[in-house]
Amino acid sequence: MQKKAASVSRIIATIINECRLFLKDIAGLSLLLLMPIALTVIMALIQDAPFREYQNIKFDVLWVDNDHGQLAKKLQEDFSHTKQFHLVKSVDDKALDDAAVKALVQKGKYQIGIVIPNGLSAEVINSANQIANDIGSKIGAPGKLPQRESRPGNDIQVYFDPAAKQTFKLSIMNALEKFTTKSEAELTLSRLAKTMKSQESNVNDSVNIDLQDKLRAVGIREASPVNTAIYGATNSVQHNVPAWAIFGLFFIIIPIAGNMIGEREDGSLTRLKLIPGSYFDILFGKLLFYVMVGVVQFYLMLQAGVYLLPHLGLPALYMGHAPISLFITAAVISLTATSYGVLIGTVFQTANQALPFGSISIVILSAIGGIWVPVEILPYALQQLAKVSPLHWALDIINDLFLRNGSFYGIAPKLSILLAFSAVFFLIAGIVEKRRKK
Amino acid sequence: MSVRSVFNFQLSTFNFQLNEMLQITNLHKTYKHATEPSLQGLNINFSAGIIAGLLGPNGAGKTTTISIICGLVAPDNGEVIVLGDNVKGGLESIKQKIGVVPQSIALYPQLSVFENLQYVGKLYGLKGVELKDKIYHYLKIFGLDNNAKKSIKHFSGGMKRRANIIASLLHEPVLLILDEPTAGVDVQSRNMIMDFLKMYNAQGHSIIYTSHLLEEAQELCDEVAIIDNGKLVIHGNTEELISSHYANNLEDLFLKITGTKVRD
Repeated sequence: MQKKAASVSRIIATIINECRLFLKDIAGLSLLLLMPIALTVIMALIQDAPFREYQNIKFDVLWVDNDHGQLAKKLQEDFSHTKQFHLVKSVDDKALDDAAVKALVQKGKYQIGIVIPNGLSAEVINSANQIANDIGSKIGAPGKLPQRESRPGNDIQVYFDPAAKQTFKLSIMNALEKFTTKSEAELTLSRLAKTMKSQESNVNDSVNIDLQDKLRAVGIREASPVNTAIYGATNSVQHNVPAWAIFGLFFIIIPIAGNMIGEREDGSLTRLKLIPGSYFDILFGKLLFYVMVGVVQFYLMLQAGVYLLPHLGLPALYMGHAPISLFITAAVISLTATSYGVLIGTVFQTANQALPFGSISIVILSAIGGIWVPVEILPYALQQLAKVSPLHWALDIINDLFLRNGSFYGIAPKLSILLAFSAVFFLIAGIVEKRRKK
Repeated sequence: MSVRSVFNFQLSTFNFQLNEMLQITNLHKTYKHATEPSLQGLNINFSAGIIAGLLGPNGAGKTTTISIICGLVAPDNGEVIVLGDNVKGGLESIKQKIGVVPQSIALYPQLSVFENLQYVGKLYGLKGVELKDKIYHYLKIFGLDNNAKKSIKHFSGGMKRRANIIASLLHEPVLLILDEPTAGVDVQSRNMIMDFLKMYNAQGHSIIYTSHLLEEAQELCDEVAIIDNGKLVIHGNTEELISSHYANNLEDLFLKITGTKVRD
C-alpha cells in the first residue's frame, strides 16, 4: 500500500514538473497549441474549393454553334439553365469560331470550349426518324417519317485546358453526355409519339400516351444510410478539420523527443535513474502529461472547426453524438502519438537526428494514411498501405463517430489497433533502452 | 517516522555493524563494440565512515566503476557489495542509501534551483514542509538561499555545482559518491564544497570521491585507490602511500604509479 502511494506520489510530482517545464517555454507552448489550429483552419480553407461539389462553382464555357439547329438550341438551353456553366459566345467583341476556341483554351484563358458541328441537329433528327420508322414498322405503321443514310463524324468537339484535371474533364463530359442523351431521347420519343399518333388516327383518338412522361417512371434520389441530419455534409470541413487535427496532434513527438534527448544530454535522466523506486513511475507521469496536452490540443483544433470556420465562410464542424467515445478516442490517439514520440526520443541520439526523422515520418504517415487525400480515391495498393499508418485508423474512428453515427462498441476494434501501435512503439523503445544500458 | 530519522537510524546501525562501505570483487566489464575491456578483475574494499578517493588516468575505469555501483550499468562478471547490499538484486536498497553527484549538472536548466530540488525531493518520497525546510537548510549551507527562485541556466559554474550536490543530499544518504564535483569551479566554491564534505564526513557519512585534481584528493581523502587499465594498482591510507613511495605528494605518487604518458 505504501509502495503504491509512493508510486502515485512520484507520478504526480513528475506531471507537475513537466507542467512547470512546459510553462517555462511560453513561446513553445503557444506554437504547440496555435500552429496546429492555424494549420487546420488554413488547410480547410485551401481544400474547400477542390472538395466542393462542382455544382457550386460556375465555369465559363466557350460556345460555338455551327449547327443552328434544334439540338444545338436544346443543348444551349440545358447548359444555360444549370448553375455550373456560363456560355461565352464572343470574346473582346469578336464572335468565336473553332480556331479561336482552340487557341483560347490552349493558352489556359478558358478551361472549356464546346463546338457544335454543322449538321448535328439534322443527323440526330434523321437518327430519331430511323428509330421511329423501325419501331413503327414493327407495329404496322411503316415509312411515315423522312430518313436517309447516316453520316458519321458529327461529334461535338470539346476542348479542355491542358492543365485541367482528369476528374474535372470527366465531370464536364458526363454533364455534356447527359444533356445530349436527354435531348436525343426526347427527340426520338417525340418522333415515335408522332408515328404512334398517326397510327392511332387511323382507328380513334381516345388513347393519348405521353411516352416521355411514362419513361420517367423510374426516378433516382439520394437516401441516407444513417438516421442523422449530417448525411450529405461530407464537405471540406468534415474531412480537413479532424484530419489535420490528428496530423497536428502527432507533432507532439517534437517536444517529447526533444525533452528526452535533452534529459540524456544534460544529465537529468541520469539523476532520475539514480533515484529509488521504479523509473516506470517517472516515465508514466511524463506520458500522462503529454497525453493530456495532446487531448487539449486536439479539442482546441476541433473547436476551431466548430466556432472559427463559420466566421470564415465555411460550414461548422459536426462532432457526432458520442462525446464520451470522442474523449476516449482523443486520449487513445494522443497516447499513440506520445508513444511514437517516446520511440523517436529513445532510438535517436541527438535532436538533429530525431527531429527531422520524426517530422518527416509524420508527413509520410499522414500522406499514406488519408490525411491529405481520402484513402477511398487512392489505388488499391495504397489503400492497403494505409493500414500501417496509425493516422489512418485515427481518422477512420473519427469519421465513424462524426459521420457514420458510430458507437463505442463499433469503434472499439479500431481503438484496439491504435493501442496495439502504442504497445509496439513502447516495446521497441524498451528494447533499445535495455540494449543501450549494456 | 520521518525520512531523516530513518536514515539516521540506518546510518548509525550500518556504521556500527559494517566495516566496509564498498566491496568490489573481481569486477569485469566490456562495453558492446569496445575493443578493450573497461574493467579487468577490479578488486577494491573501502571501509565505512571514511572519505575514499577513486583515482586514475583517463580511461582507467573510474566512471564505469561508479556507474556499476549506482546500477546504471550492469557488470559482466564479479561482485559489488554496497553498504551490505549486492548490486545484483539489492539495487533499490542501495539507491535508498547512496547519493550520487554526477559529473554533469543533472538539473533542469529552465527551472529554478528550488523547483529542481523540490522535484528530486518528492521523487525520494519527501514532501511538504519537511522537504521545503530541508531544501532551504542546504541552500543556506551552500550559500544559495538568496537564489532559490533563480533558474539554473542563470547560475555560475560554481553555483551549478553546489546545486548539483544539494540534489544528492536531500534524502540524507549514508554514502555520498561524487564524480569530479569541483570541475570548472571557482576557488571560493571549491573551498565551500571541500569544507562541506569534511563536515559531512565528520557527521558519520561515508564518501567516495573521484577527481583529476589530486591536490584536492590529498586534502580530503583518508584512503585512495588508484586504478589503471581497469585494474587496481595501489590502495591504502593516503599519507602512508605517499611516504612509503617516497613521493612528494599525491600527484607525484600518481605519476610514479601510472606514468607520465598522455592518455586519450
